[in-house]
Amino acid sequence: MCACRCGIKVHLEDGKLRYIEGNRDHPVNRGVLCAKGSAGIMSAVSPARLATPLKRIGPRGSGSFEAIGWDEAMSIATRRLAAIRATDPNRLAFFTGRDQSQSLTGYFARMFGTINYAAHGGFCSVNMAAAGVYSVGGAFWEFGEPDWDRARLFLLFGVAEDHDSNPIKLGLGRLKERGAKIISINPVRTGYSAIADEFVAITPGTDGLLVLALAHCLLEAGDVDTEFLIRYTNAHHLVIDAPGAADDGLIARNEAGRELAFDRRSAALVEAGAAGIDPALAGAFVLPDGRRARPAFALLAERYLDPQYAPEAVAGRCGVEAATIRRIAAEIAEVAFRQAIVLDQPWTDTSGRRHEQMTGRPVAMHAMRGISAHSNGFHTCRAIHVLQMLLGAIDTPGSWRYKSPYPKPIPGGPPPGRPRGPGRPLDGSVLGFPTRPEDLLVDEAGEALRLDRAFSWEAPLAIHGLMHMVIARAFEEGPERIDTLFLFMANMAWNSAMNPGETTRMLSACDDAGNYRIPFVIVADAFASETVAYADLVLPDTTYLERYDCISLLDRPIGSAHGPADAIRVPVLPTGREVRPFQDVLIDLAGRLGLPNFADAEGKPLYASYADYIVRHERRPGIGPLAGFRGADGASIGRGAPNPGQLRRYVENGSFWVHHLPPEQLYYKHANRAYLTGAKAMGLIESDEQIVLQLYCEPLQRFRLAARGHGTRRPPERLRARIASFFDPLPIWYVPLEEAMVDRERFPLHAITQRPMAMYHSWGSHNAWLRQVLPENRIYLHAGRAAEIGVRDDDWVWVRSRNGSVRCMVRTMTGVNRDTVWTWNAIGKRAGAWALQNDAPEFRRGFLLNHLISEYLPKAGDAAPDSNSDPVTGQAAWFDVTVSIEPAGPDSPAQTAPQPAANPLRIKRSPEPVS
Amino acid sequence: MTMLPKSPPGAKKLGLVIDLDTCVGCHACAVSCKEWNTKGEAGLLPDYDKYGAEPDGVWFNRIHSYESGAGDGCRTVNLPRSCLHCEDALCVTVCPTGASYKRAEDGIVLVDADKCIGCKLCSWACPYGAREFDEDAGVMRKCTLCIDRIYDKDLPQAEREPACVATCPSRARHFGDLADPQSKVSQLVKKRGGVDLLGELGYRPTNKYLPPRKATIPTAPREAPTGAASGIGGALLKLLDRALSR
Amino acid sequence: MRPAASVLLLTTLTGFGYGLLAWLGACAALGLLPAGRWLAVGGTALALLFATFGLVASTLHLGRKERAWRAFTQWRSSWLSREGVASVLTYPIAIAFAAAVYRDGGGIAVRLLGALAAAAALVTVFCTSMIYASLKPIRQWHNAHTAPDYLIYAVFSGAVLLALLETAMLGTPGAAARAAALAAAVAWAAKRAYWRHIDAQSPLATLASAIGLPKGTEVKPLDAPHFTENYVLREMGFTIARRHAVKLRRIALLVGFAAPLVLSLLASFSRLPLAATAAALVCAAVGLLTERWLFFAEATHVSALYYGRRI
Ligand SMILES: Nc1nc2c(c(=O)[nH]1)N[C@H]1C(S)=C(S)[C@@H](COP(=O)(O)OP(=O)(O)OC[C@H]3O[C@@H](n4cnc5c(=O)[nH]c(N)nc54)[C@H](O)[C@@H]3O)O[C@H]1N2
Ligand SMILES: Nc1nc2c(c(=O)[nH]1)N[C@H]1C(S)=C(S)[C@@H](COP(=O)(O)OP(=O)(O)OC[C@H]3O[C@@H](n4cnc5c(=O)[nH]c(N)nc54)[C@H](O)[C@@H]3O)O[C@H]1N2
Ligand code: SF4
Ligand code: SF4
Ligand code: SF4
Ligand code: SF4
Ligand code: SF4
Ligand SMILES: [Mo]
Repeated sequence: MCACRCGIKVHLEDGKLRYIEGNRDHPVNRGVLCAKGSAGIMSAVSPARLATPLKRIGPRGSGSFEAIGWDEAMSIATRRLAAIRATDPNRLAFFTGRDQSQSLTGYFARMFGTINYAAHGGFCSVNMAAAGVYSVGGAFWEFGEPDWDRARLFLLFGVAEDHDSNPIKLGLGRLKERGAKIISINPVRTGYSAIADEFVAITPGTDGLLVLALAHCLLEAGDVDTEFLIRYTNAHHLVIDAPGAADDGLIARNEAGRELAFDRRSAALVEAGAAGIDPALAGAFVLPDGRRARPAFALLAERYLDPQYAPEAVAGRCGVEAATIRRIAAEIAEVAFRQAIVLDQPWTDTSGRRHEQMTGRPVAMHAMRGISAHSNGFHTCRAIHVLQMLLGAIDTPGSWRYKSPYPKPIPGGPPPGRPRGPGRPLDGSVLGFPTRPEDLLVDEAGEALRLDRAFSWEAPLAIHGLMHMVIARAFEEGPERIDTLFLFMANMAWNSAMNPGETTRMLSACDDAGNYRIPFVIVADAFASETVAYADLVLPDTTYLERYDCISLLDRPIGSAHGPADAIRVPVLPTGREVRPFQDVLIDLAGRLGLPNFADAEGKPLYASYADYIVRHERRPGIGPLAGFRGADGASIGRGAPNPGQLRRYVENGSFWVHHLPPEQLYYKHANRAYLTGAKAMGLIESDEQIVLQLYCEPLQRFRLAARGHGTRRPPERLRARIASFFDPLPIWYVPLEEAMVDRERFPLHAITQRPMAMYHSWGSHNAWLRQVLPENRIYLHAGRAAEIGVRDDDWVWVRSRNGSVRCMVRTMTGVNRDTVWTWNAIGKRAGAWALQNDAPEFRRGFLLNHLISEYLPKAGDAAPDSNSDPVTGQAAWFDVTVSIEPAGPDSPAQTAPQPAANPLRIKRSPEPVS
Repeated sequence: MTMLPKSPPGAKKLGLVIDLDTCVGCHACAVSCKEWNTKGEAGLLPDYDKYGAEPDGVWFNRIHSYESGAGDGCRTVNLPRSCLHCEDALCVTVCPTGASYKRAEDGIVLVDADKCIGCKLCSWACPYGAREFDEDAGVMRKCTLCIDRIYDKDLPQAEREPACVATCPSRARHFGDLADPQSKVSQLVKKRGGVDLLGELGYRPTNKYLPPRKATIPTAPREAPTGAASGIGGALLKLLDRALSR
Repeated sequence: MRPAASVLLLTTLTGFGYGLLAWLGACAALGLLPAGRWLAVGGTALALLFATFGLVASTLHLGRKERAWRAFTQWRSSWLSREGVASVLTYPIAIAFAAAVYRDGGGIAVRLLGALAAAAALVTVFCTSMIYASLKPIRQWHNAHTAPDYLIYAVFSGAVLLALLETAMLGTPGAAARAAALAAAVAWAAKRAYWRHIDAQSPLATLASAIGLPKGTEVKPLDAPHFTENYVLREMGFTIARRHAVKLRRIALLVGFAAPLVLSLLASFSRLPLAATAAALVCAAVGLLTERWLFFAEATHVSALYYGRRI
């Protein structure tokens, strides 16, 4: 397996890496590779690879280390962590990056007993994940995919590359082959947008408005799949209309706790899930207690039919002409309803009804960080899901489909686990799915228990944590809160930091006594990244061709709409360095610490290595990291006893396992009886009941009611208004938070980044081939705008935001929204890092937009500033920043600024050979 | 032989068809090409100043991007550029040593690195910038159409295609015999109006490029409704008359 | 095109050498050789010396010098190969010519060999010119001027050299100086005509056709495949600012042609003919190197279109 998810075949010659090619049988990439994948051969010889464990000897951040042996490294880590665990496990903050082993790292944190754990999802795409799992029980982000073979119209919102980049490219190729229409909604026309048949140069942060305007048009024309709505969503569920009451806005239920609807045929209230009813979607009805209730759909229709959502009303704000919005709505309706797909494929729904055919709405949508990385992204993403539901375009032929193991019951799992004191594991998974105020991790005063304030009133649905706040909060709250900051595979001191200058200052800041504000920092990295210099202890990891890994169904697996799948990575290269696979190290650490399920009652470690763990660990009886080839004979799938020969079976099978769903299970999975029972039997889900799609998101209303003063768990005063307005059970649009607070006259331009297709964040720069493609970056802006400002290609300019200024060079283009500037993400490097020479273009002309972004919103009044995040999910709002541009002038040095001092690793070798 | 060969009857014209309507400009083909040819029989493709100020190297395939047109017709176009295995390959006839040659049997244009004296003239003769000089070995390099893959009997039939074609994630690259009107590539060229790059220079390239297109969905134009049908009430009525059955 | 020193030296030095040889041979053929065998013998030696320097300089340009012999094999299609063959064939002819002059100073053999040597010299120069003139992607070379111009400059530079040689050996410049003056005038006119021609030419292609879009489509480069210069750009993307070109053209004309013209005429009357002819030679050499530098620097290659450069 390649660096992330694709299958590869690696050819060696005399033990040397010769050639990497795509595995043609692999379900993810079908033989294709991206540029990074083929360049893997150069990463394996990069001089930036770490070679031994390191102990800091100079000041933190200076890069001065002593090479130590693994014994010493492990005993330092064990001693430190054991002391923490014995007193207050929460004083370990364990945060991981874009790794594929969150089911292990999360489990480690849970058993360790710290709530302060998360992976990179919080600054990545939690808006997409949360909006998806709370609305449809799946999500765009790795949990769903368009029906590439059948879609006729494809709407792509804010995607440059995505995690699933090869599948998306394969899919786009297939759409093109069939002549389907692709509409890209994106401020910038490059990459996927370049080949779109229509490009909508939207103003950043306004997609919610655009989507709701599309909904307005569809509702206005009656182009809505009402049949789908009542069968598969909660459109007909009755919402209590009792202003001021503690249950206002909640769904009316009977004594059995079942949602109610109004049946027009019997003119009575009935259980909304009952088959054969003719439920009302409009009107107002009287509940048994005499109060009024209205179908969720009626609330929705009323809201979006309002003229404020008419194309004419939103056009200016979105930068998209009203006529274009109307035309796109008409095209959507045309394809969804006039070109519906009917497959002669019988299937049976959860109510036991047999359908002879599958009807599809061949309008597919996909969205990612262009939506996600704004502070209104949760609602925008919900708006897109609502649009899909109105069209009946969820898991039907031609539309967006769930990737196995999704759909999952909404919202996806139990609430976050809670601490149980020193030496004890949490009572549940670290990350979970709150649905009511009681699920939050807050103290008596309603303040956050977690360091990053996830699951507090500041970010109640922060299901992936708030990784971008960790260093700032650890600095702010000091040693009382956190002892050890343990970072794995995340370049937190540079490109994954908002405001890297401040972040590095905080990492190395001391109190008056000269002690570090953040007492101890452990970094597990494979390369000499910017962050390594800030570690006290460096645990050098292997690179991806040197270790076992697994992409587990317990995490973010490689399943597709065609069925569940998972995969492993096997070591093919000897390391030749004193490095160890991080997962081995973590399991070793867990064993040494005697963590439950990693060590037996006597404290003896249970697993020899990660490979051993992959095979033998059982999360629930019969369910382990890998779903394929289970059982003693390897014949079971999903559930089954551990199989000692499992890894061998995987290798024989191309290092992956895939289960192909039979045709009757391929669509309507949320209500497909055969699929749901099968999935339950395999252990993918716990229940085989229908998954009712949530047009109306009731959990949000529960938080809002608390903000209105109901219940015992209420938000602190300062957050009340915020919760009350942002926890709307129907999608809303608002100006992104930062944008609403800054002086737009001073900072008139939106500034965003895109993933370059041939680079992985920071770690392509040490690759001799990839850095030939992109060793430096430019700030791109509209040619007309450049003319107004008086700058031309390759001029040096200052880009300024409220947070700082960056000096960089200009490139002009026409395929960009006029009010937007952008650049490639993470190209600029800090001098000294990545084993590059001191005159490397990455330092001299490459720049990070991150210097302009702050992890805090502007201060409003005396209160401490809020984090720069989505108020619902805590998603980092990378793309909300606004800037100005001015020429740097003819005397400007031809070098980027800011330019932090170089801090290359200087490693003192111990006199004796390290073991 | 440095003279252009007379193709025997029935000779193949192997080449690539590159779909500009589908190419997302990801550089995957370029890197894969570099990888294959670094390992393969064509010898090493050098890199210079790998970790320094001016990283550079020899590539057989490079990906440009352009913006074309204005207003509604505007488009971002990604262009992978490699040797087009021209029929009138001036790069071959100018070569003083015979190192540059075009194969009679399949039209592939190659450089024999053992004969090349590195005079660079062939690169001057190529209007496409498809030849790059190997400073380390002192010889000229160019795309081989992956001759060491497409004829490799050890590979399964499906894998006997150029590395760049095999890896292209959006399947924008196609390989085949352009002399055979029935081949997939010839059919694609016919159906999609494949074009020559720099046709006016008369090199008669074998590789063809499929131009960008624009899919549309014809619909009746819609205005904002007025009168009785307008407003929330009107719209809801339209929607909810239907009998619904759960 | 990048003006590589080796190629500039090659073409100018061989121009002088073969030009001189052509003059000597032609004079011998017509029986116009000035008295004394040493002029022709010494002149031939000098001509071969220049040519050899030029050819050696040109091999410096090769990536694999040790294989240079291979360049003689493809004379059927390659002008570079033909140049090689012609230049090598010129040696025995020239030596035979010199030997014949040495033996009997005149006579039919000398006349014949003279004609042959002149022809061989001019053919070699022609082959050189055709290397450039045959390159279709470079409009500044692929035109009707390149070949005649190369011959004219060779004849001119040969005349300047001959005038110096005559002055040095015989004390007076004689007719050679007047021939040099005349050739300078022709060369001046030819160069002016060439520049007028290339300035009026339209580009061979547009970026639209380079990337296969319909004629007339407006295209602007967005991102190049790589940030740093690569071989194609270094070799073929060389550009020169307009104002530099104008200045250099003036230098080439004045120093390369006007000054030798004046100096050559002066040589016939002045009391320091050696100084005048020597100065003419130096000026011609500097001017021709400048002219040759411009010949490359102003030449644009179609492939640079892909990088958005003007051609
Ligand atoms: N301006 C701006 N900033 C952004 C974003 C944006 O869009 N705009 N996007 C954000 C997002 S979504 C993300 S996910 C982050 C990502 O940013 P980062 O988390 O910083 O991701 P990377 O740069 O990929 O690398 C993380 C670290 O992993 C190390 N590494 C690589 N391979 C291995 C390995 O095998 N083992 C170990 N232990 N370490 C390894 C690398 O050396 C590097 O130090 O950036 C965020 N930052
Ligand atoms: N090659 C490569 N692939 C990667 C990565 C990488 O570093 N390199 N990183 C991986 C990671 S960690 C992640 S999170 C994914 C992210 O993958 P993507 O979701 O593709 O993330 P970005 O590249 O940040 O792209 C965001 C897109 O949204 C657009 N955009 C910005 N604001 C708006 C807006 O308001 N509205 C709309 N409609 N569009 C907007 C931008 O122009 C850009 O095209 O990629 C993964 N894949
Ligand atoms: S997307 Fe590229 S780098 Fe990631 S696994 Fe696939 S081929 Fe490898
Ligand atoms: S593209 Fe260039 S190198 Fe290839 S055959 Fe044509 S002229 Fe020769
Ligand atoms: S560089 Fe090599 S292949 Fe090219 S013309 Fe010269 S000898 Fe021939
Ligand atoms: S055919 Fe082979 S050599 Fe030519 S560009 Fe493609 S991968 Fe490179
Ligand atoms: S791999 Fe395919 S999509 Fe990517 S640049 Fe090459 S041709 Fe274009
Ligand atoms: Mo991410």
